[in-house]
Amino acid sequence: MIHEEKPKAMKVEVRKIGGFLWEIPRSGDMFVPGRIYADDESMRFLLEESRTKQWDALAQVRNVACLPGIVGASMAMADIHPGYGFPIGGVGAFDPGEGVVSIAGVGFDINCGVRSMVIDVPKERVELNRERIADELFQSVPAGMGSTGALRLSVREIDMVLREGAAFALERGYGVEEDLEYIEEGGAVDGADPEAVSPRAKERQLRQVGTLGSGNHYLEVQYLDEIFDGKAAAAFGLSEGGIVVSIHTGSRALGHQIGTDYQSVLRKASQKYGIPLPESELIAAPIQSPEGRRYISAVRAGINCAFANRQAISGLVRDVFKRFFHLSDAQIRTLYEVGHNNLKMETHETPGGRRNLLVHRKGATRAFAAGRDELPARYREVGQPVLVGGTMGTSSFILTGTEQGMADTFGSAVHGAGRIKSRKQALRDYRGGDVIDDLASSGIIVRTHSRKGAAEEAPGAYKDVERVVAIMEGAGVNRRVARLHPMICIKG
Amino acid sequence: MAERGHESLEHAADMGIRGWGETPAEAFEETAFAMFDLIMDRRGTEPENDYYLSIGGRDLTGMLVEFLNELLSLADIEDSAFVSVRIERLEDDGGEYDLDAVVGGIPRDRCRKRLLSEVKAATWYGASVEREKGGRWVAGCVVDL
Repeated sequence: MIHEEKPKAMKVEVRKIGGFLWEIPRSGDMFVPGRIYADDESMRFLLEESRTKQWDALAQVRNVACLPGIVGASMAMADIHPGYGFPIGGVGAFDPGEGVVSIAGVGFDINCGVRSMVIDVPKERVELNRERIADELFQSVPAGMGSTGALRLSVREIDMVLREGAAFALERGYGVEEDLEYIEEGGAVDGADPEAVSPRAKERQLRQVGTLGSGNHYLEVQYLDEIFDGKAAAAFGLSEGGIVVSIHTGSRALGHQIGTDYQSVLRKASQKYGIPLPESELIAAPIQSPEGRRYISAVRAGINCAFANRQAISGLVRDVFKRFFHLSDAQIRTLYEVGHNNLKMETHETPGGRRNLLVHRKGATRAFAAGRDELPARYREVGQPVLVGGTMGTSSFILTGTEQGMADTFGSAVHGAGRIKSRKQALRDYRGGDVIDDLASSGIIVRTHSRKGAAEEAPGAYKDVERVVAIMEGAGVNRRVARLHPMICIKG
Repeated sequence: MAERGHESLEHAADMGIRGWGETPAEAFEETAFAMFDLIMDRRGTEPENDYYLSIGGRDLTGMLVEFLNELLSLADIEDSAFVSVRIERLEDDGGEYDLDAVVGGIPRDRCRKRLLSEVKAATWYGASVEREKGGRWVAGCVVDL
């Protein structure tokens, strides 16, 4: 039952095992230890929450460690905060033979992620026109609760979206061919089965391809204010003062419905296969079971839907900038697109040798190091760009993966700042109008469909992204490449 | 006599919802109101269209999660925002429950300025339907925002 106050104290034991790394030692039903990236202050906050609140991200790290077939450790990146079942920032890799697939490790917004594009236009021109550009983007990109996209699709076309991903939107005139090379997985994963997705999920999506959504989803125009790694920045085509547009959204209603539909399927499977559930939301099915396989192919369809969605929105953004500044397509380049609510079959070097693993990342980003075949040729020497969103008022970061990150976290990174205040607390502490006015006075233009949403998403409701990123770099898992500062923010 | 009512509760990045009443049906209705209040400012609204919803299940908690998710997906499909709900039937037929409800909505186009947040799904996290000692039924779960 949900209570405002935690009914009883539940103790999670943690010990520091590195400058920014903490361990929940293996005990009881845990198959592996828990590992959390945090500084002393963040860990104090997490322990305090663990003692006093009903929600408890540390207990969630421990619970994930109790799922069968988990390999290495149940991990949480530095933007850790409580989710349902898995913590946000959680990473769990499972043996494909003995392991399970867990719905809480993916969430309801399948393949929610970020696309960033580099726009070849001087910062001063954007600054001079920021109000008008904000208006044009706000009018062109459908955002907010219940908004509908320009693409009106039939169920047959939705099936194509689920198989083809970003290429579907490209064929409909959104974006350019070159975009696909700079999307994780080339903009479509194999093994997506539209038949594993319910008619209802498809019906909900008919008008939602090409919509941003609401909540923490956004479209942001940013300028690059500092480069930390010149070699990687050069490979990524970044320069100081350069303009970047970032799109943060996911698979919309189709993803939500896949999650909803498979809640009951995996709940039954958990009972059928006798999977011990440390908590009710951590339902799971053996990867090799019919239920597990079907869920994985449905998630893959959801992943492709999110790729198509971001491709469609990127096309709308591209058109606004082309029209406004009379740019050619070549002057707008996709830097990268990567998801952070995902389920991926990946090959990793482990102490037991090279293994295929099913990696869950819930609010965590894939962050592959240099040399991986999955990366575009242009980036292969420096590593994969990792796109980390800040808040409406604070910086975003472009990071890259490291060899240590490959070994310690299966190549993972943070995905954002991480919430520190509940939405309710944020609504008590901030007024939407004041948040927007304060940002405007510091030169950040916000356009939103929901003032309440602006209060919930106030910069003060989040951790300091600078600190979150410093923790990951300090631990050697991710490396900072560049910092971006917001100029225009479009919210749902 | 037990009162009926609903509220939303703090829950880290998401939100908890809770409803209570004299019967499980009232607790279900109130929990739905708690969810509607996250989605839309319903004050002073009247439903323009009615929709009908039927589900079956084996336990009340599972029924609650399914009921709330059915409301979310029906609202999307009908492009509607829901402002009222009445449970016509919630019966235990020898371990199998049946629920029939009438939901009142307004087309989203006609109430866009009142819309607040998108609820992605009702989850099993913290989900329960219980009878308290005083006789009051209390239902609730965490919703993903």
